[in-house]
Formats: sequence, C-alpha cells, structure tokens
Amino acid sequence: SQPLAGGQTAELQSKVVPSKQILHSNNMEMEPETMETKSVTDYFSKLHMGSLVYSCTSKRKNK
Amino acid sequence: RMEASCLELALEGERLCKAGDCRAGVSFFEAAVQVGTEDLRTLSAIYSQLGNAYFYLHEYAKALEYHHHDLTLARTIGDLLGEAKASGNLGNTLKVLGNFEEAIVCCQRHLDISRELNDKVGEARALYNLGNVYHSKGKNVANAGTHDPGELPDDVKNALQKAANYYEENLTIVTDLGDRAAQGRAFGNLGNTHYLLGNFRSAVLAHEQRLLIAKEFGDRSAERRAYSNLGNAYIFLGEFETAAEYYRRTLQLARQLKDRAVEAQACYSLGNTYTLLQDYEKAIDYHLKHLVIAQELHDKIGEGRACWSLGNAYTALGNHDQAIHFAERHLEISREVGDRSGELTARLNLSDLQMVLGLSYSTNNSMMAESHVVENSLNGGRPRGRRYSMENMELMKLTPEKVPNWN
Repeated sequence: SQPLAGGQTAELQSKVVPSKQILHSNNMEMEPETMETKSVTDYFSKLHMGSLVYSCTSKRKNK
Repeated sequence: RMEASCLELALEGERLCKAGDCRAGVSFFEAAVQVGTEDLRTLSAIYSQLGNAYFYLHEYAKALEYHHHDLTLARTIGDLLGEAKASGNLGNTLKVLGNFEEAIVCCQRHLDISRELNDKVGEARALYNLGNVYHSKGKNVANAGTHDPGELPDDVKNALQKAANYYEENLTIVTDLGDRAAQGRAFGNLGNTHYLLGNFRSAVLAHEQRLLIAKEFGDRSAERRAYSNLGNAYIFLGEFETAAEYYRRTLQLARQLKDRAVEAQACYSLGNTYTLLQDYEKAIDYHLKHLVIAQELHDKIGEGRACWSLGNAYTALGNHDQAIHFAERHLEISREVGDRSGELTARLNLSDLQMVLGLSYSTNNSMMAESHVVENSLNGGRPRGRRYSMENMELMKLTPEKVPNWN
C-alpha cells in the first residue's frame, strides 16, 4: 500500500487491539460429567439372572 | 413371557448404549417401558439408563423426566443407593439446564447418602458433581458481564472458591483410591476454576497434572484439552511464546483428531496470540485459517470475529485495502446476525480508516452520523484515537453451552 503521512499511519497502527478484549473468547475446556449408572442385571441374584439370561438367549437362538 | 421380554429389551438397550449407540438404545428402553414389568428395581434401572442416554443425546428435558421417575421409584422401594445415584444424575441434569440451586440440593443428597453408606467412591463422585455445579454457577454469573479472569464480583468468587474446595476434597479421596482417571478430571476442572479466579500459576500446575494423566492413558482428547487450557493460562501470565507453543500442540492434535470446530478455535487462539506478539503476518495466517473453517461450518459468529481480527491485523501492517475489505465484511455479518454492537464497532472502524486515508466512504452518510451519536453515548464521549474494542460485544463460543432454563 502507498505510504501515508507518517503521523497518521502511526496513529492508526497504535489503534491495534490491546490484549484484554481479544481474550474473552478463549474457550475454557471442561472435563466431562460423570453420570451414575444402573443396570437391570444389578439386582438379580446370579441364579435367578442365570436362568433368565438362559431363557433369553435360548429364545433368541430359536428365532 | 412378558417379564422376560421386558428384560430382553432392556438388556439390548444396555448393550447398544454401551456400544455408543444411545439413539438405538433409547428405542429399546422405551419399548421395555411399554411392555412393563412388575419388578420396580428393573424399572428403576431402565429409567436411569433412559435418563443417561437422553443426557448424552443432549435432550435434557427428557433426561430430567426419567431421572425424576428413577428418584421417585428408588424412594418408593427404599433403595438408598439407588436414591443416591438418581439424585446425582438429576443434579447433573439440572446443572446443564442452569437450575443451580436445585442441582446443589440433589448433588448434596448424593453426597449425604454416600457418606451414610460409607461409600467412598460415591462420595468422591458426588464431590466432583458439586464442584461442577458451583463452577457452572460461577461461570454463568460471570458471563452475564464481560470480566477478565480474576476480575470478579463477590458472589461469583464465592461460587468458584466453593468449586475449588469440592475438587480438592474429591482429589483427596480419589488419590487415596488410586483412581487416576478421576484425578485427571478433577485436575482439569480445578485448573479451569483457578483460571477463572485469576490464580494462573495454580491453574498451570493443575493442568500440567491433567496433561500427565492424559498421556498415561493415551487419551488424546484430554491431552488436547490440557494444552488448550495451558495456553489460556500462559496468555494471562503474559508468557505469549509459551502460550503459542501450547496452542500449536492443540492445533496439531485437533487435526489428528479431525475435529474441525476445535481446529478453528485453536487457529483463532493462535491468531490472537501472534497479535499479542505483534507478529501480524502469522496472526493473519491463522485468522485466515480460522475464517475458512468458520465458513465451512456455517459459523457466522466465528466468521464475523475472524473478519474483525483480520481487519485489526491488516491495519497494524498498514495494508488498508485489506483492512477496509474485512471491516466491511465484519459490518455485513454483524448486520446479518443482528449483532448491534458488532455493527457499531465495524462502522466506527470503517470511519476511522476513511479518516486516516482521506477517503470519502461509499456508505450512506446518515448512518455514519448515527454512529457518532451512539459512539458518544457508548463510550462516554471518550476521545478517538484507538481501534474500537470488542469489549462491549457479546461474544459467543463456537458451541454455546447455554440451554434455556427448564421449569
């Protein structure tokens, strides 16, 4: 670009953003939430569950 | 048999959610609810998982509904551990919805029951959740104004200080338990809390720990997060070279992970950092990269910001043609997205550029006149003589976290 009157160029250049305002958009990156989990198999006794799972899987095989 | 059928559907839902297909999992869980079951514990587990699936799908109103069902059911059958879990999940969901006071009550309940049951793991998790709620609460109030980290009203400070205390308490327990993954999460969020409080050295220490643990697990997303957060902290410590180094690593990992939005953010951070280092060529290079991705992702806010930054950098280099081009683009985009203060900033920048260049500008003059009036009211008639800042602009993140309040 063509040279301008020195004073004016200096004035315009001094107008460049100071640090403060360009930082608001610095994204802070958070860690994920932890959710508590339940499972339908939590509450079954192994014996009870075993027979149920067996019936489920055998049914599936028969499909 | 009906009973087996409900269980079968629920088991398939569990399998699908575990495999990461929550959408399909939800269908099976909802089918299981339709079929129904006499077993209230089974139903409670189905509700809980439906709540979590909807949470991960960002459908928070539905997540709230199901976690609420789960809580009611757990209380009905006197399942204390189940009640603790449902309370925690409900608390997390309320937090995301911006209902902080109720979220605190629920998370506190999770904590109280865990302590009553001598459940150390549950206690630690409840403490982490509480830290998260107070962090969000503090950040939320802080965002209402535009504060730099460290310049905060008292209520914000109190909330953030509470968050820090909860994270510290959590760290004590998970360190005892030897749970490295949980330590990593707590360090990351503790670091961000210190950052907001303006304790930048403490923030760096916490994020360095987070980085170490991320590397232990080979967790590249967490590693990238840590680099980004370290970059932010070093900016405020005034160590721009170090910040640039961390942002460069962020960018490198973002590219490896093929995450365009995160890549854009890294480019933007680098552009700003090189501006602070007064290396305007590099700043322009990164802001242009940011601009390209913002356009690709149809992120108008980001595009406007890129244009504004580019206008500044070209002004600094004395490249007035380009400066005017980007100031005009900034004006155009601000109008498009209805950003009043952005529009003003752009207009004032343009009129400044014309004055210096002695150009007669082609925009209609009544608008220029209007902008001078507003300028005086906005800035208390402060003297001209520097670039107009974005301090009054409402900046949004690439991915806004805020969701409307649920009532």
